[in-house]
Amino acid sequence: MLITHTHVSTMDRECASLLPSVCEVLADSGRSVPDDTSLEKLLDWFTGLTEAGGSLLEACPCLLKFISTVVYNAASDPGVLSFTLRLTGLMAATEDGFKMLQERSVLNQVFNLQHWQEAGLWDDPCLRIGWIQGLRSTLQHPKALRFFVQSDFIDSLLQLQTDTSLFVASAANRMLAHILLFFQKVSSAGSNSVNKKEEDDERGIHHSATDLEPPAVTMETSAEYSAVVKGISEYLKESLIPKENTKLHQSLQILKLLALLLAQAGPPLRDKLLQRVTDSLEQLVTAGCSQLTLPLMDVILAANSSCGPDGRVPDQRVTRLLSSMLSVNNAADRCHAAAALLRRGHHDTVHTARAVRILLLPLDIITGPTLLGTNASADEHPFSVVEQLKSKTSCISMICVCLTNTPQITLTPPGVLPCPPVLIVTAVVSLLRICSGTSSSSSTGSSEVCRNVIGSGKVQKCALEALTALNSSPGAKEKISEVFTILIQYLDSPDSDPTVLHKSYQALVKWIRVCTDLSLITDQLRQDLVEVVKKRACDMRWEVRDSTVEFLGHLAGVHVSVSSGEEVCDASEALLGGCCTTPLLREALQDTESYVRASAISALAKTLTHSWRQGAALTQDQTEIVSRLLEILSQDTEGFPRRAVVQYFISWFFSRSSHSPPSSSASLLMQCVRTVLSQGSADLDWEVKVHTLELAELLLDQAFSAHRGYRNGSDAHRALQRPYGVVSDQAYTLHTHTEGVQPDLAYVVEQGVISALLSGLVDCDRPVALKACRLLITLRETICPLSLGALDATAATATVPCELPGRGWGQEITKILEMEKSDRAREADVSAQRSSSAADGGGDGVSVSVCEVLRSLGLDQRLDVLTQSSDHIHNSPLSLLQDILTASGAHAHPDTKPGQEVIVDCY
Amino acid sequence: MKLYCLSGHPTLPCNVLKFKSTTIMLDCGLDTTSVLNFLPLPLVHSPRLSKLPSWVSKDGTINLEKELKECAGRVFVDSQPEFCLPERELLDLSTIDVILISNYHCMMALPYITEHTGFTGTVYATEPTLQIGRLLMEELVKFMERVPKAQSATCWKNKEIQRMLPGPLKDAVDVWTWKRSYSMQEVNSALSKVQLVGYSQKVELFGAVQVSPLSSGYSLGSSNWVIQSHHEKVAYVSGSSLLTTHPQPMDQSSLKNSDVLILTGLTQMPTANPDGMLGEFCSNLAMTIRAGGNVLVPCYSSGVIYDLLECLYQFIESANLGTTPFYFISPVANSSLEFSQIFAEWLCHNKQSKVYLPEPPFPHAELIQTNKLKHYPSIHGDFSSEFRQPCVVFTGHPSLRFGDVVHFMELWGKSGLNTIIFTEPDFSYLDALAPYQPLAMKCVYCPIDTRLNFHQVSKLLKEVQPLHVVCPEQYTQPPLTQSHRSDLMLELQPPPMPYRRCSVLNLPFRRRYERVYILPELANSLVPSEIKPGVSMATVSAVLHSKDNKHTLQSVPKPPPVPPSKKRKRVMEEPPVVLAPKPLLSGAVPLEAFLATLQKHGITEVKVEETADGHILHLQAEDTLIQLEEDGTHIVCDNNEPLRTTLRDLVLRFLQKL
Repeated sequence: MLITHTHVSTMDRECASLLPSVCEVLADSGRSVPDDTSLEKLLDWFTGLTEAGGSLLEACPCLLKFISTVVYNAASDPGVLSFTLRLTGLMAATEDGFKMLQERSVLNQVFNLQHWQEAGLWDDPCLRIGWIQGLRSTLQHPKALRFFVQSDFIDSLLQLQTDTSLFVASAANRMLAHILLFFQKVSSAGSNSVNKKEEDDERGIHHSATDLEPPAVTMETSAEYSAVVKGISEYLKESLIPKENTKLHQSLQILKLLALLLAQAGPPLRDKLLQRVTDSLEQLVTAGCSQLTLPLMDVILAANSSCGPDGRVPDQRVTRLLSSMLSVNNAADRCHAAAALLRRGHHDTVHTARAVRILLLPLDIITGPTLLGTNASADEHPFSVVEQLKSKTSCISMICVCLTNTPQITLTPPGVLPCPPVLIVTAVVSLLRICSGTSSSSSTGSSEVCRNVIGSGKVQKCALEALTALNSSPGAKEKISEVFTILIQYLDSPDSDPTVLHKSYQALVKWIRVCTDLSLITDQLRQDLVEVVKKRACDMRWEVRDSTVEFLGHLAGVHVSVSSGEEVCDASEALLGGCCTTPLLREALQDTESYVRASAISALAKTLTHSWRQGAALTQDQTEIVSRLLEILSQDTEGFPRRAVVQYFISWFFSRSSHSPPSSSASLLMQCVRTVLSQGSADLDWEVKVHTLELAELLLDQAFSAHRGYRNGSDAHRALQRPYGVVSDQAYTLHTHTEGVQPDLAYVVEQGVISALLSGLVDCDRPVALKACRLLITLRETICPLSLGALDATAATATVPCELPGRGWGQEITKILEMEKSDRAREADVSAQRSSSAADGGGDGVSVSVCEVLRSLGLDQRLDVLTQSSDHIHNSPLSLLQDILTASGAHAHPDTKPGQEVIVDCY
Repeated sequence: MKLYCLSGHPTLPCNVLKFKSTTIMLDCGLDTTSVLNFLPLPLVHSPRLSKLPSWVSKDGTINLEKELKECAGRVFVDSQPEFCLPERELLDLSTIDVILISNYHCMMALPYITEHTGFTGTVYATEPTLQIGRLLMEELVKFMERVPKAQSATCWKNKEIQRMLPGPLKDAVDVWTWKRSYSMQEVNSALSKVQLVGYSQKVELFGAVQVSPLSSGYSLGSSNWVIQSHHEKVAYVSGSSLLTTHPQPMDQSSLKNSDVLILTGLTQMPTANPDGMLGEFCSNLAMTIRAGGNVLVPCYSSGVIYDLLECLYQFIESANLGTTPFYFISPVANSSLEFSQIFAEWLCHNKQSKVYLPEPPFPHAELIQTNKLKHYPSIHGDFSSEFRQPCVVFTGHPSLRFGDVVHFMELWGKSGLNTIIFTEPDFSYLDALAPYQPLAMKCVYCPIDTRLNFHQVSKLLKEVQPLHVVCPEQYTQPPLTQSHRSDLMLELQPPPMPYRRCSVLNLPFRRRYERVYILPELANSLVPSEIKPGVSMATVSAVLHSKDNKHTLQSVPKPPPVPPSKKRKRVMEEPPVVLAPKPLLSGAVPLEAFLATLQKHGITEVKVEETADGHILHLQAEDTLIQLEEDGTHIVCDNNEPLRTTLRDLVLRFLQKL
């Protein structure tokens, strides 16, 4: 919905002239507004104008009249009213604007709650949110604060905090936080103000230009500010405790607000807030309400960490709150609290250690006591945990929370961890065994608990994720064999669902990276792995076949040494033996599912990268694969495999050895490249075409990188992304040696690069045309830079010809050339090879000079057009204003009943 | 009510229920695992089998050269395979009134029960059960008769000798009762006693009970049975399935509110999920074919094979197996494939609706049409000329002891490229393969058992809420090999009653009510009096007439009118003595109120003593006892008739009279 702001920073004359009539349309309650998005866009445009430093009031004086008309018209559409409120706020964001609006007494009327309530419009959430957001935009200077306090808005705002509409409630919350934080004393804001800005930016909140410098609370406003602080904090204290058990909504909202405030408040404000609410927080903690655990924890952690940076000792009471949270009665709540503490990266060792123990306890109970030792202290309530674990749902959710946090746990300092990290790996492995039903827990009395996790896919997935992340924990290497065994067992199990299998493969790849030395993996395990991979490659479910094929690719990307000190080879060869991977992938090329075929092609590329790098000779197998791939490129009905084929050749081209002597591999590659370029550029799928152009780019890079002045693909691309950062002309003027270019150009033409680029240029898919255009410009700058003038190019380069086919893209290029030529013919008569005779549609191909074509295509203008997003015309403010006008005309049609349009909840 | 358990096999049950003067046999499954102790019966001469060494005991004392052969360390009986029958001594089989069959796997012992035992009753089964059951019996007979063995080994059954044999022969039970296969004639005779029933059809047995089959969702025509009288209901649950395969879905609601639920036929593979196994089956099959090997699937000729073929129908294309031939070899292959297509009303809704298109409900029709699936009665004849490798062969018998499968084992066993995939759960694959060792062929065990698992059954029982559950003892503890899986057993409140072979259970409910009809004229004469709102009572004097387990109350016949005599006598000489019946009393005497009344009548010194059944009041001054019990009140009062009468009247005040 946001418009690119570069286009809207100033208001052009045309817009300014349309605006009054738009205002008229909007203000006319008889006519209906096109839709909510138009208003949003309009507001965005105004915001952009304001942010650019312009004054809305000066630029469009009609707005003032508009506002008063709308506000006094009781029949106004709520959507328009909401828009008006927000617009007013935007205009009052500067002190001048505020003053003017106040002088015209618009402000009082616009934000007059009573007025809206009496008009019966307040029930519309759309209006309420407009009111809040309008006020929020206004509150950027002390005058606004005074207005806010004097109008006694604070109570209403507090009420809105528990509004039935979630959007309104959350906006009210943010507004409350804004008031308190924004008007903090500058001296105390310190580094917090920076954080705040960042956070606000993340949420997409727009700031006016004045936002960067929070105004000092002057003597005159400090009284108002204190009143606001007092009012709000009093409210927080009073309303924090739910009056009835069912009314948790308010407490939840207040906790959210508190977390927001405490995370950003400077010390005086924070201390004031804490002083007020700590009692209530304590009460809330003791109440032990499960739904409030996480928000409570957020507040406490925010309070606790905000004390940290200035080197202040954390408030004792906050610390106590934290301790109480870690010893609430409900085991699941305790787990959640502990997890929240770990996630926040809390640094106090005492609490972290407790949290770790809390999180490990359920795992310890199920897998047998190894993690915590025998001295589980009483405040960990092991019995209540066991009781909770006996219920299936809470068991699964608790175990999953524990598992999700195990990687974090192993990262805690050694003093905090109750056991060596490797034992956690063991526990996760045991849990996986229990889940698969193959082993029982070694601890007595937990069989009832084990029953709950047997066969649970959710626990399996969490445990596999945990195991994947645990590969970097110290001592992991010793566990490699055990981990492999369980993963292979999971891969083999008929009951594993596709996601479980996928995660098992991921874990396996990660763990292979751990072992520096494959001798740790027994032959039996390797053999089992080969069997299971073969089986899964034939699975009924395509997702499984896909994961299997992907796994083979990933494996090829991992390099391991076969035994310590020996040579390095890729893991697929070391683990599966060379004879397994390629046949399976070749088979997968025939798969019925296009995703699998695509994955197989990518995996093959990864498998062969190594041999390409070494410049090894092609095997019969590889040659056959290549012809199969070309077949896929020309015949496959799905886009994915074809894209993958082009990428296969890109990676082959990219990683081919440049040092080794010309080989069968290199010649086959170049042969294929021609085919790929011609077929890929004629593909129906735009991504295939873009990939084809990437391949063309590689060829260009290869051909011209030795020439000065050629910016290789990635550089050029980067430069082109910043339209203003055009490479200085100097680069071109330095380039004078065009003689050497000629053979390279001829080679490139022969390979079909130029054809691919030209066909791309006239492609109807914008990304394709853009890419081709950029590459053509780069090429032009290299072989016949404009700065040297057309005549300076050596005759040799200028004569390198290329074929334009008489149909399709060739015809289109010819047309462009014709047009350009006729344009230029008027200015100067440049003699070049005449090719006009071939322009009668559908004739034979013609031969033209590459240089000539490059110069005559008007590439720069094309680039300009192509760089703009395809909807740039439709998205301009002018078109928006026109749209609104047109739509109102259409809606004014007698047949249309008002309110017929679809109402979109868009605030 | 009694239950006689003639088979201990949980999925091949044979129980007899005695209920209200009827004797009902529930299924007669044939335990064929005994054949695993025998050598396979090859279709063509097998040099390997014929060269197996005879077994000789270590000390050389026992030498049954002709009877026992040794293969890879195991001993096998070289004789026509024999089956372990249901127990026949526990109860006189001729007394059985009816046999209820739940599915075609559970009727294989029928000829042993109905023939040569004096059985005169009726067998009830659905049509697919009868037809497919007939096919399976016919197949079994043909398998056996095709390769007759002259000798019958009996010496090894001698108790003294059997004791000395190595396991598992040593531990085989009741070997003397093991029997060879029946003949086709016996099959025909047995099946002629079958009466066909449809789902939910009610069949009256001697007016005493009503039996009715319900769809069980396991196989074509498979049923559970409800046996009920007016006041009692027994549900018999045999092989049932909640999965959506080809049969009609299971009818669960009709099982509700049974007094006793006899639960048999749960999955034999509680840890193997059928979907996972099907996936395993397909991927192993594809893997083998791609590597150039053959796949052998030992299976029954009906049942899971339909699902396998359907699954393969979809899988063949995606796995690029379009050109691989699939062979189904069985003497009844053709009938089985065709029968499956005609029992439309017994199929799941999905398949039923295909019939109206009209399309064959099972896709194997298309496989046959496109020549992807070919079926032959045996390896002899056409098959041998059209046989192409690599291929997939479905053939029986799953025990690998007889049938065409034996031939393929001999043929393909030596190559590691080939794979045998076990899909039937009835036999341990290791035992089945024992006489073929050493074996190079790859073995894959993916038993597909769609019957209820423990999770499903506990949900089912929660739903239908029987008062008591009776089940094989195997279901009351985790499987032996997985003793840690406490989730693989039945846990119920009250605990289920376990049974084993030869158990006789007294089912734990008393018959408390019987329905009695009253003839209208008698009913007309009744004078009901309301004893509490909505409940009225009346006394009846009538004659109880019982016939065919139906009870009727009829009016007492009037004495025949006195024949008119010529002598004029006094008309009312001796009026018939019709004594007005004494009023019946009902209600209870409330102690407190009674004491208060006593006090009003001047009896104050009362000592109350609590007893097991009520109270004893000791009226000390009067030296009198009043015993107030639940079903009677006694006043012990010597020599004081007026007091007794007073007390009696006081007591009567609290009681209602009819």
